[in-house]
Amino acid sequence: MSAVVSDVGTRTAVTARDLVKIYGKGDTAVRALAGVSVNFAAGEFTAIMGPSGSGKSTLMHCLAGLDNVDGGAVHIGQSEITGLADKELTKLRRDRVGFVFQAFNLLPTLTAEQNILLGLELAGRKPDKQWFDTIVDVLGLRDRLRHKPTELSGGQQQRVACARALVARPDVVFADEPTGNLDSRSGAEVLDFLRMSVRKLGQTVIMVTHDPVAASYADRVVLLADGHLAGEILHPTADSVLSALKHLGDV
Amino acid sequence: MLRTILAGMRARTARLVLSSVAIALGVAFVTGTLVLSDAMTASMNDGFAKTARNVDASVTLQTDGKPSSDKPETLSEDTLAAVRKAPGVAAADGRTGGSAPFLNSNGKAQSGSAIALESEPKLRPYDVVDGRFPQQDNEIALEKHAASNAKLTVGQQVTVLGKDDQKHSFTLVGTYQQGANTYGTELLLPQALRSLGQDGSAGYHEIVAMAAPGVSQQQLVDHIKTAVQGQKVKVITGADLTTERLKAVSSRAANFTTFLLAFAIIALVVASMVIYNTFTILIAQRTKELALLRCVGAGRGQVFGSVLAEALLMGLIASTIGLFGGLGVSALLQLGIGSLNDNGSDTPVTTPLSLSTVLAAFAVGTVVTVLAAVLPARKATKVAPIAALRTQTDSSEEVSRTGKVRMVLALLVAAVGGAAVALGLKQGDGGASSAVITSAGAMLLTLAVVMLGPLLVGPINRVLGAVPRALFGVPAKLAAANAGRNPKRTAATTAALLIGVTIVSLITVVATSAKDTVAKQLDQQFPADYWVTSALYDHKLPTSVGDKLAGVSALSKVAASTSVYAQIGTEDYREIATVPANSLGDLVRPTLTSGRLDKLGPGELALGQKTAETIGAHVGDTVPVAALGSNGKGTSAGPKQSFKVVAIFSGQSLGNALIAPESLAALDPQAKGYDNILLKVKPGVSLAEGRAAVDQATADSPIAKVESPSDSKDEINTQVNNVLAFIWAMIGLAVVIALVGIANTLSLSVLERTRESALLRALGLTRGQLRLMLVVESILMALMGAVLGLILGVGSGWLLTKSLSTAAMQVDLSVPVGQIGVLLVAAVIAAVLAAALPARRAARTSVVAGMAEA
Ligand SMILES: Nc1ncnc2c1ncn2[C@@H]1O[C@H](COP(=O)(O)OP(=O)(O)OP(=O)(O)O)[C@@H](O)[C@H]1O
Ligand SMILES: [Mg+2]
Repeated sequence: MSAVVSDVGTRTAVTARDLVKIYGKGDTAVRALAGVSVNFAAGEFTAIMGPSGSGKSTLMHCLAGLDNVDGGAVHIGQSEITGLADKELTKLRRDRVGFVFQAFNLLPTLTAEQNILLGLELAGRKPDKQWFDTIVDVLGLRDRLRHKPTELSGGQQQRVACARALVARPDVVFADEPTGNLDSRSGAEVLDFLRMSVRKLGQTVIMVTHDPVAASYADRVVLLADGHLAGEILHPTADSVLSALKHLGDV
Repeated sequence: MLRTILAGMRARTARLVLSSVAIALGVAFVTGTLVLSDAMTASMNDGFAKTARNVDASVTLQTDGKPSSDKPETLSEDTLAAVRKAPGVAAADGRTGGSAPFLNSNGKAQSGSAIALESEPKLRPYDVVDGRFPQQDNEIALEKHAASNAKLTVGQQVTVLGKDDQKHSFTLVGTYQQGANTYGTELLLPQALRSLGQDGSAGYHEIVAMAAPGVSQQQLVDHIKTAVQGQKVKVITGADLTTERLKAVSSRAANFTTFLLAFAIIALVVASMVIYNTFTILIAQRTKELALLRCVGAGRGQVFGSVLAEALLMGLIASTIGLFGGLGVSALLQLGIGSLNDNGSDTPVTTPLSLSTVLAAFAVGTVVTVLAAVLPARKATKVAPIAALRTQTDSSEEVSRTGKVRMVLALLVAAVGGAAVALGLKQGDGGASSAVITSAGAMLLTLAVVMLGPLLVGPINRVLGAVPRALFGVPAKLAAANAGRNPKRTAATTAALLIGVTIVSLITVVATSAKDTVAKQLDQQFPADYWVTSALYDHKLPTSVGDKLAGVSALSKVAASTSVYAQIGTEDYREIATVPANSLGDLVRPTLTSGRLDKLGPGELALGQKTAETIGAHVGDTVPVAALGSNGKGTSAGPKQSFKVVAIFSGQSLGNALIAPESLAALDPQAKGYDNILLKVKPGVSLAEGRAAVDQATADSPIAKVESPSDSKDEINTQVNNVLAFIWAMIGLAVVIALVGIANTLSLSVLERTRESALLRALGLTRGQLRLMLVVESILMALMGAVLGLILGVGSGWLLTKSLSTAAMQVDLSVPVGQIGVLLVAAVIAAVLAAALPARRAARTSVVAGMAEA
């Protein structure tokens, strides 16, 4: 429960080196990632931004070991994950990585509580009761635990997904446009929680987003354009992000 | 983007192929049975046509409807001579034959009948298989199956039993095959046949003639009519003979066709359910797509029409495939049936395809498919497009609604079924009507369960899911949740299997119960160690066999009994058996319902309960009895005797009445020989030693057949098991279709849950666990159908045995645990197989691709 916040920024949680990802073959080949090198510090909230089709989702999938790469290497903590077999990747996902997707995060057959604990159950781990209560209370899900996903609002569903990603205390949480489907108020709830989990609990979060306001919750914004790294913004605000994006468009 | 479109199309082809498989299998089965019955009819026709081969005119006795006396009248040698002399006759032969058992290579008698060989080769309705036809009086040819069953080969001597079981020896010169209706097993020259001395072999039952060149069949008939003028004969042309014979046979073939069609209907019902279910899922999955079409301006009719057109097209294609598959099914069935009856005529595998078969195939395939599409399509186009866009494929409200109407209807059906069962059981006469009413009631109860299926899925799933949950953890838990998430779909998927298993287990339970009841009765009523009976149904054991056995020192008791057919009171054709005094209450132990039976004196009689009830006789009454001549063949009753009823007994293996042997002579002076001899081995002598002694004593009597209770139980078992094997095979086809239905549902569910699977994989479910999850889901669905089916089948079986039971004969329920175990294991294995493809597909999809799926 005692998160070490002191050496934030000194340890890297995720590293990508010269990452290349090519879709298709021959004439129709698309270089979705054309040599991306980027570090993500532990205990930091990073947003990945860029125009549509710039390779944000691809980058995130590669970082999380959901997709294989055509070149370069990815490390989560000290261990390299590129080239791991499916079994080891599955174990990695169980134990060290959490996910929040834009939509369809929950199994419709399970209740909110069962969904939150699903990852732990798959890993065969016992949930930490205190930690579970903290998350549930912070996210305001206490009286929704017995509900099925179809009985929850979109914002509530995303909060359940966040709770599931955090309950296992992974090394890093990946979120692909977690607020993409939400109105601004529900979006703010989710983002608040993600930021809080980084600040108060020392969690590492990497989030893909289109929304400058969402990005402003992060400690750092990494910009992507055409599969290349196109700069970064520290301590972003909605305005600074917006102008940086505009600038990207000009190039 | 192209990738998603292509992926979508590929996914659609997969879905279309899946539902086509169900249609094609259903059509294949229906076509298969139709083609089979056509083939059997054709081969029977061929066989019958064979007896009329080259016959231009046929002469038979004019019958006035009823058989005049027990002496069969025949056409005389003079009539044959007259026909031969008639103008225009190129050749003529008399046809005759009679019962003539022959000895197999072990020297034991085998039933058979001898036929006189026609002198004109063209008029012989047989074809030589091996060797040649007899040319001399001491030569014989055997039907080829009879020869191989008896293990006799060309060149060997064959002993034929003539009148009074006299032995006649012939040289086997050839084997032959014959048309379907010819029952003869031996061919002899007419003179040799006559030397056997059987009744009726002196004359002919038919005279067949061939016309000289240039003489028409009608002219020939006219000539013959003139030649035999004044005699009571019927002369018809060969063409008329063929039509007459064919008319007789087609009604026989129709019986079997009806039997087969019953299975075809079961398969059709099961296939329709599978097709309907597949379409419901397909269209549910396309609801959004259809709604989108409507949002962009397509009319309701247009959308509806497009779905129907697709169903029609699919039905046509699948029916075509099924039609050809059906030819294969029919060929397989013919091979199967051919291997079952080894003494039938040799029928080559043929697959005649008639217009009506083709029409039936397409009607079944397309009509059922279109009907299966109409309902879901109507539902999909009825809702407002926007509402349809919003609903999830398995949102809970769509899922768990089991209409109130359906509930009420199901309960109504159940009530009617229950009432029918109660009525059937109350009738309690053990007769056909009580069984029919009871089974109709049981069927209605099954239907009610099928209708209530969606409500039952939840609870059953919870119970069944407990075991895999404990064994496999999370994947099994997810599987159980998936199996129960859409109760309507799961119920519809399992219903097909449920029906198949219900029928199979019902039939198996009833057959086993009947079998065991008979075996138990044998034990109870004949506590003999061995018995000797005649190997030939129309021959009694000579009394010498009984005398010889009486002298065997290893035996403590020898009880010979004779049966005669008689008129008891008003009832004709009752079987009366004699019981020697020394065996009553010992080797023969009837269960008494009233009276006493420690001994039977002359003029006393014990009456079977059923007969007693029909003639209204009670203990102490006197009833008139008259024998009907040997085996009841004759109609002239013997002298009437009065018997006093001293007891009434239940059970059916003892005949309708029992008398003392001393009473027999007065009743039927002609009765001679024994029907069976019960034997008991002396204490201290082993059963094997006893058997050896009995075998030795009967060695020189070819028709004596020694059996032990276990032998005759084995015989009953084989008979019942053969019938069961056939029924299992036929229902098995329906079960295969049901399993294809499970595979379909599972595949469609996998497609629909692509994103879910991807999510689970992202959360750390391994490929193996994902596959396991689907396998467990498949097993759960199969078990749901199988277990419910077993409960219904065994339950109905129990009701049916109760309805078949009477006070006189209690049919006890016995459940064939082994066979039911086999059924359950087979269901689990089949479920694993059904899950194989969908599981492979699900596990192969990469996480990212899965998440991208709409
Ligand atoms: N499965 C695929 N096959 C072929 N090309 C792909 C595939 N997935 C992505 N691409 C291409 O790779 C590039 C990067 O795609 P990616 O999904 O990473 O973009 P993105 O930045 O997430 O865009 P968006 O903001 O629209 O989500 C795009 O040009 C896309 O067309
Ligand atoms: Mg994206």
